[in-house]
Amino acid sequence: MAIEIPKLPEHMHSGATRFIGRDVKRVEDPALVSGTVEFIDNLDIPGMLHCAILRSPHPHARVLKVDTSAAEALEGVAAVLTGEDARRWSNPAYTAPEGWGAYCVAVDKVRFVGEPVAAVAAENRYIAEDALELIRVEYELLPPLATPQAAMAPGAPVLFEAHDSNVVQSRVYNWGEVDRLFAEADHVVSNSFRWNRVGANPTETFGCICQWDLAENSLTVHGAYQTPRFWVAARAMALNLPSNKVRIVSHPMGGSFGGKGGPRGTDISALLSRKSEGRPVKYIEDRMEYLIAGFSQSWDRHYEASLAVKADGTVTGFKVRLIDDQGAGTEGWGTISVAKPLAAFTGPYRIEAARYDTVLVATNRAPSGAYRGYGPPPHFLVLESLMDMTARKLAIDPAELRRRNYLRPEQFPYTTPAGNEYDSGNYEAVLDKLLAMADYRGLREEQSRARAAGRLIGIGVASTVEPGVFDWNAYATVGVPGIGVPEGVKLAFDVFGNLTVVVGFTLQGQGQYTVAAQIAADYWGMDFNAVKVTTAATDVTPPHFGPGGSRLGVAIAGAVLGASQKLEDLFCCVVAHVMQTQPDQVELMDGRLRLKQNPAVGMSVAEVAGLMLSRADLLPPGVEPCPEATYVWTAPNRTMPDEEGRCRSYLTAANATHLVMLEIDRETGRTDILKYFIVDDCGTRLNPGNLEGQLQGALAQGVGAALYEEYVYSDDAQPLVTTYVDYLIPTIHEIPMAKKDFVVTPSPFTPLGAKGCGEGAMHTTPAVIHCAVNDALAPLGLEIRETPASPRRLWQLLHQAK
Amino acid sequence: MKSQLEFRANSAHLLLTLTDSEFTMKPAPFDYLTPQTLGEAVALLERFDNEGEDAKIIAGGQSLMPMLAMRIARPKVLIDLRRIAGLDYIREEAGVIAIGAMASKRSAEESDLIRNSQPLFHAATSLVGHRQIRNRGSVGGSFAHSDPASEYPAVALVLDMQMKAVGPGGERLIPADEFFVTYMTTSLEASEILTEVRMPVLPAGTGWAIQEFARRNGDLALAGVALSLRIEGGVCRQVRMAAFGVNPTAVRLPAGEAALEGQAPDAAAFARAAAAAAAALEEPMSCIHAPGEYRRHLVKTLAERCLVEAAGRAR
Repeated sequence: MAIEIPKLPEHMHSGATRFIGRDVKRVEDPALVSGTVEFIDNLDIPGMLHCAILRSPHPHARVLKVDTSAAEALEGVAAVLTGEDARRWSNPAYTAPEGWGAYCVAVDKVRFVGEPVAAVAAENRYIAEDALELIRVEYELLPPLATPQAAMAPGAPVLFEAHDSNVVQSRVYNWGEVDRLFAEADHVVSNSFRWNRVGANPTETFGCICQWDLAENSLTVHGAYQTPRFWVAARAMALNLPSNKVRIVSHPMGGSFGGKGGPRGTDISALLSRKSEGRPVKYIEDRMEYLIAGFSQSWDRHYEASLAVKADGTVTGFKVRLIDDQGAGTEGWGTISVAKPLAAFTGPYRIEAARYDTVLVATNRAPSGAYRGYGPPPHFLVLESLMDMTARKLAIDPAELRRRNYLRPEQFPYTTPAGNEYDSGNYEAVLDKLLAMADYRGLREEQSRARAAGRLIGIGVASTVEPGVFDWNAYATVGVPGIGVPEGVKLAFDVFGNLTVVVGFTLQGQGQYTVAAQIAADYWGMDFNAVKVTTAATDVTPPHFGPGGSRLGVAIAGAVLGASQKLEDLFCCVVAHVMQTQPDQVELMDGRLRLKQNPAVGMSVAEVAGLMLSRADLLPPGVEPCPEATYVWTAPNRTMPDEEGRCRSYLTAANATHLVMLEIDRETGRTDILKYFIVDDCGTRLNPGNLEGQLQGALAQGVGAALYEEYVYSDDAQPLVTTYVDYLIPTIHEIPMAKKDFVVTPSPFTPLGAKGCGEGAMHTTPAVIHCAVNDALAPLGLEIRETPASPRRLWQLLHQAK
Repeated sequence: MKSQLEFRANSAHLLLTLTDSEFTMKPAPFDYLTPQTLGEAVALLERFDNEGEDAKIIAGGQSLMPMLAMRIARPKVLIDLRRIAGLDYIREEAGVIAIGAMASKRSAEESDLIRNSQPLFHAATSLVGHRQIRNRGSVGGSFAHSDPASEYPAVALVLDMQMKAVGPGGERLIPADEFFVTYMTTSLEASEILTEVRMPVLPAGTGWAIQEFARRNGDLALAGVALSLRIEGGVCRQVRMAAFGVNPTAVRLPAGEAALEGQAPDAAAFARAAAAAAAALEEPMSCIHAPGEYRRHLVKTLAERCLVEAAGRAR
């Protein structure tokens, strides 16, 4: 029987929904607030050793000699790992495009400050760190390449000698008649923008315990992994192990936001275990390691961009040239962040044609990694800044300019020039609700009065589209293979009728266990607390990916609903056999399998499950005594990219418009956010409380990127930001609590009409804050086009203008 | 003269120049001693000094522990003062407020005596880090640590505070303008321990203010100003101004003081005094958050704002 997943909550056929769409208390939280969650650093395994890693102080150097003899002689040291071991036992990291990865411990040369050069396994971390001081490394310094411009200069040294330059990829995408539209435009609005490095900073850094079974030649890894199955495949390739001999037991995480990297940490611990006769080796990345050399850094970008605009404000064309500093290779999958903007290149607007001219460059900065949003947030800062510059040039209100250019509700599903399909939306309704909630006209009047008094008050309005439910084809342009991202669950009733939902991912903060329980409890008419959601090791869970690309809420809904329907069909067969009727005469309603013609007659779900496991004599022929079902969901109708990268990739297109009012202190350059409003539309809201938390959290990270956070490098590629004294994550004192409302335009393509929304405000907050900062500066004729708009930068701008 | 720590800095913050020994989060080995009396502690310091061993005092540990973990500080011996009775007090002695070196900043913040009788010191205390840090961090520790971005040294200069040190030869009082030497360096001798800080009760009618500029609430100040003044006969008198976060240690701002002394307390005079104070500063420190010229401008801005605030308080 075909699986048909309900497209709206009201299409759920097994009774009225009691949990979906409601603020149920999260099943994850009691353990979190009572401190009983087993994070990886809480776990000790008998015989366990502790790893510490010696890291390069140089951004670019040949490693001439590594003398580990004194470290090996230190009491309590079990093994010391060097590049020679890595070369003998492992392979360089797999990357897309291929060939831009390094060994887990430097072989021959180092390419960034913090790159591992050797590692120690010892009885405790203190001894391991003492041993690091005894390792002598001889380097031959090479010229550091601190910027992509330096790395592309003629005669620049090549970082990866298998290639003849430092350009990882250079590719121009043309979508439509860009040149004609720019030639015919009444106005062309152009500018350059600089987005400096920011990145994910979860509360917990990466950690793992690796144990190499020398008899079986297999590896078991406990650790903090966002996407454990993905890492199994990658570790098997890196460590020359069959993939079914690598097993990851993923532990709950103290956040990730894309930054839970750890391939080097895992491989180093694994090889240290191998070298220590199979003793388990724990590695806990410390905060400095994370900030300097973890996957903490993303999006290092130099933009030039233009809009083609008609006299009435209609935007017809959009050109972007991007030089992207990937850092020392692409082991952190930073290339994906350049490809992802294809999924929503023209944002919420009816822009007819676009060009994307990309150059991805390797430098001696740390390899860039994934961060919430994975690429579009800087892209939208550029697009929205150009929209505001257009509004100023044409003297059109910025909110009105956006309204004129929005896609209309009747245009959905809409295929963008860059090829992705937007499922649904009602952008004008979102804007209207926002402007009314914020009293936009009143704020503008307040701004006029404040300006007359000499204050620098700015208002920003920005609209974006969040691509949701990623698919691998979105990244085909940078060499990522495949279509389809399986997300599987197993539903298992036990003999007493309690339900366990086995998923492939672990707690990370988003509340997806709660969503799975809400849907299962509604489907089966069960008590919410009777549903147990749990995870298992990679070798026994169904195919899965986990959180990423704003996908898991939709994907887990599809998987739970699909498995539920398979199991319902099975239960109907069993009940039909017992009741001596046909399966199509039985239905599930409010927790009972009952006869359609005589609803008073039926069995509870628990009775059916118990019967299946304990009365084999009553089962229909051929039916196994197994009240369990597995379903693996992936997005339907995804397509192969054409030669310009166009394809149906991300399944959903959520929309948000933000409004912020802020003030700049003319003398200190400090920006204070006065008011913040959000209206968003991500279709059906499966758990409004979860969503509110996601939105507010993404807003916080957006404020960080817009005003505070930056990984600064010196001219010779030394990282100048090595602790939280200098990497400034905004705190509760700096982050506004936004006033929020929403519009619901369900997706016609997804389970229950929900859209991906987890990355959320990160797409819009940096853009809207920069729009507002420039609105505040506009009377002075000043403009900032570099992130973050820090007090120093604004002061220099204001000071130089005097 | 005793350098409290071996360290490299070119800013209000520690600039971590990365060498291979500094990617660590566990301290290098050290001996840990907990003397029961001040005399024992002083004797230990004297002994290690004679033996040429690097011994360090630890109080609240809010600055020292991260330095130990990153192996920026690697003393051979750590001498903890927490078992020594009688160093945790806040009391008034004939017009002078005395704070024992081991009193926590939080207790100073919660002290009615300090709130009512020395509001400038109270306000400065509230600007130190976050509440959790003030719970653990000692008042004396901040003086002995002498971080250039610390609020207390500037307040000490404004208030003419005195630091009580106990050493092998007994105790002595060190005036604030002799106590803070340079980056994290005080005039304490190698075998001396800071036991108490002393400040006058703020005379009634004195105007005061302290303001700082930090990137976030609770961060180390990129620049700050503390000051006090009196308004007598319609003009400003006894103007005392100091800046922190801009030079290797807190500094008085004599040019600003002189510019305002005897002037009517109006906006123009405040602006002139603030400008004079900032212009006369030695070249300020520079870091990724604030180049020197920006810091100088911040001092001017903060001084002007502080003068307005203080004048509003003066009676």
